[in-house]
Amino acid sequence: MRASGRSSRVYVTLSAAMGPPIYVRNLTKVFRVHEREEGLAATLRSLFKRTFKDVPAVQDVTFEIGEGEVVGFLGPNGAGKTTTLKMLSGLLYPTSGEVRVLGMTPSHRDRQLLSAITLVMGNRSQLVWDIPAADSMRVLQEIFQLPEDRYRQTVDELTELLDLEPLLHKPIRNLSLGERMKVEFAAALIHGPRVLFLDEPTIGLDVTMQSRIRRFVAEYNRRTGATVLLTSHYMDDVVALCKRVVVIHHGRLLYDGALTGLAERMAPYKLIRVTLRDAALNSLLEPYGEPIEREENRVTLRVSREDAPDSTARLIQDLRGQVLDLTLEDPAIEEVIDRVFNQAEELHQAESQLLAATS
Amino acid sequence: MSGLLRMYRVLFVANFQAATQYRVQSVLWLLFAVIRPVVFLAAWSAAAKAQGGSIGDFTVGDFAAYYVCLSLVSQLTMAWDAYDFEYDVRQGKLAPKLLRPLHPLHYAVVSNIVYKVMTLPALLPALVLIAWTFQAHFQTQLWQLAVFVPSIVLAMTLRFVFGWVLAALAFWTTRLHAIMHLYDRVSFIFAGQIAPLSLLPGPLAVLGYALPFAYMLWAPSEILRGGVTFDQAMLILLAQLVWLGLSWLAFVAVWRMGLREFSAVGA
Amino acid sequence: MRYLRLLAIFARTELQFAAEYRVNLLLDLFEELIIVVTSFGAVLILFTHTGVINGWTLPQMTVLLGVYYILQGANSVLFETSFERFMEHVRLGTLDFILIKPANSQFLASARHVQVAQAGQVVLGLVMIGFGIAQIGVGVGVRQGLAFVVTLACGLALVYCLLLVLSTLAFWFVRVENLLAIFWAFVDAGRFPVDVYPGWLRITLSTIVPIGIAVTVPAQAIAGRLDTLGLVSMVGGTVLVWGFAGWFWKQGLRNYSGASA
Repeated sequence: MRASGRSSRVYVTLSAAMGPPIYVRNLTKVFRVHEREEGLAATLRSLFKRTFKDVPAVQDVTFEIGEGEVVGFLGPNGAGKTTTLKMLSGLLYPTSGEVRVLGMTPSHRDRQLLSAITLVMGNRSQLVWDIPAADSMRVLQEIFQLPEDRYRQTVDELTELLDLEPLLHKPIRNLSLGERMKVEFAAALIHGPRVLFLDEPTIGLDVTMQSRIRRFVAEYNRRTGATVLLTSHYMDDVVALCKRVVVIHHGRLLYDGALTGLAERMAPYKLIRVTLRDAALNSLLEPYGEPIEREENRVTLRVSREDAPDSTARLIQDLRGQVLDLTLEDPAIEEVIDRVFNQAEELHQAESQLLAATS
Repeated sequence: MSGLLRMYRVLFVANFQAATQYRVQSVLWLLFAVIRPVVFLAAWSAAAKAQGGSIGDFTVGDFAAYYVCLSLVSQLTMAWDAYDFEYDVRQGKLAPKLLRPLHPLHYAVVSNIVYKVMTLPALLPALVLIAWTFQAHFQTQLWQLAVFVPSIVLAMTLRFVFGWVLAALAFWTTRLHAIMHLYDRVSFIFAGQIAPLSLLPGPLAVLGYALPFAYMLWAPSEILRGGVTFDQAMLILLAQLVWLGLSWLAFVAVWRMGLREFSAVGA
Repeated sequence: MRYLRLLAIFARTELQFAAEYRVNLLLDLFEELIIVVTSFGAVLILFTHTGVINGWTLPQMTVLLGVYYILQGANSVLFETSFERFMEHVRLGTLDFILIKPANSQFLASARHVQVAQAGQVVLGLVMIGFGIAQIGVGVGVRQGLAFVVTLACGLALVYCLLLVLSTLAFWFVRVENLLAIFWAFVDAGRFPVDVYPGWLRITLSTIVPIGIAVTVPAQAIAGRLDTLGLVSMVGGTVLVWGFAGWFWKQGLRNYSGASA
């Protein structure tokens, strides 16, 4: 599967001069929000003079994404993920900073760029409710001006990859949620885009379907070399698909790098899970690490990364004969992320307090 | 009985609170109520002027008074339950509503009244403006005002119940909106919106006096305007009562049959 | 050219969907017939009492009513449904899918849901015009015919611009259930010539809500009641309104996309 006629021509001619497919530098977005207060007096006042509050959604974010990368965008609700995504797809104007996708400025809405990108949003569909997906896709064919043979080929490949055969000719409202998502993906990829923006694509789906979608995205990336930027709440999405993550909180970029590196940097500890023959002796474990969990006979100790090899070795040596089972683990990725956010949250609170105190 | 009254009070309060959220929309819909009568009033005024100032018993001022009254009566007798009911049946929301302690009719009555109370204050100034612009001439006497009260109550109830008879058809058909549009169109002719009944051509006028539509709109409007004699007013009240009785019987029958159909077929 | 092809496929897609529900289609057509017939009946009732209303005879009024239904029909076919869907998109956040397509977003928002089934009103309107012209007796000259076509196109453009402006308001008034209610309230007034209405309404129907002149001027053109000045002002006014509506739409879009000023 190659990108359809127009966008691949664009790619060939621009690839040398264009730079990375996604280029973001000092990107900032500040929303002007009208402050609404309660009460009749305030309402009347607002008729004459409106007070505004500047809400920064994205602050000074810089990163680049190379061709064919699948990058995860992590952050709690309101962190600025969707805002960044919208600026990348040209739906939102940045307040300041630079953003270029495939060498072009998204907010200029060049036809060439729009033909080469796509947006999939978790619980929103671009397909018309009452008509079959096949008909919607014909309309898309016309909008993207895809030649018939290319269109047929893409439809066939997507049908095969996603098991769409029985689904394309049923009205969307007759499909289950998972089926709708599959069809949504097909429609979103009909024009063979080079850059995919996926905003919470697996939200609300059952576990099997989530895994199905993940496999599809990975396969699509493998076959076409398209660049994928994915936001998600589900760590499984990120772990399965993204070697690299960008972490955003309160509009600021906290981390940009390998997923494994995230644990190393942000949660510099390991977990030793020990099961002793005699549970009454569990108190003996305390010198080797901080006990944080006790599950039946199994105790979990938290140890800093540097001390981990040593502590483990000493534990095995000293309590030899008593140790039934022992594993050394990285902290769960969810925990890592939680830690990242909690730290960021504390910092943010401190900053806000400082600002309030000094203004 | 006191239990019912208490339920009603609760419903009223809840509805009023909900209604304040839809202020802007209610005002927009009022534009309909204001412009509709002006359209035909303007046409009749122009026609009357071309005929030397009056047509039949109606001078330009009489037409103005008639259409102002018609607009007021139209707003007061509004009933939209058929549309809501069809929506509920189609969306499968009817079953839970049937399980509530009160018959759906009670909820509809309250929301109906609340809407009218909320919108009337906005309508009245507009009507005054129209009356002034067209120099409306009211011939209302005190006794007619007195008779207007039972007449408008009967008209409101008649239009409400009749609407529910149609609404109950939603138990059988998914195309109720087609029937509703037909009903609106027939009402358009015979309820007095095109012309006061006395100005309809012979056969249509006779049909109009026989059908119930005139007693929902035209009749109370004419009483309020002062355009009927005492005998005519009494006949009108009688006709309203008869049609209300018939509609009520029809509703009870259709509803019962419809419920049976509904439970048989399943929610 | 490209947009004509797009329009064709929009029409075809919606027609396929409508054709599946044949009974609904027939009901729709039947309803359109009832509506037009009863409206014509209303005009007839008026004219049983008088021969002329504000200078308009029955045949001329018939022509006017025909224009009214041509415009109503064309509106229902071409853009009304699309604008209703557009406002839903703004509310539901699915507008982004339209904006991200490589095609003019105003076109996509206005024309996506072409409802061919509503063409019944257009046909009936044409029949009424034919009937009215026949009753007038005098044939329609080339100049009149041309003036009619031009002013009818202007009328349709004016209706379109009105709906576009109302829909653009959805960018700011996201939560108002139906901004088109403003349109619906005034559209009823188009059934009679705009000059029968009192000052404030006549002015409104000729400027802010130009439904009045959209219907009356083409009717005047084909009935031979339109002078050159009227024709020129109609065309000129339409061009101005078109420009304004397009500009307003762009402003709405920019506001939606968070462009500062």
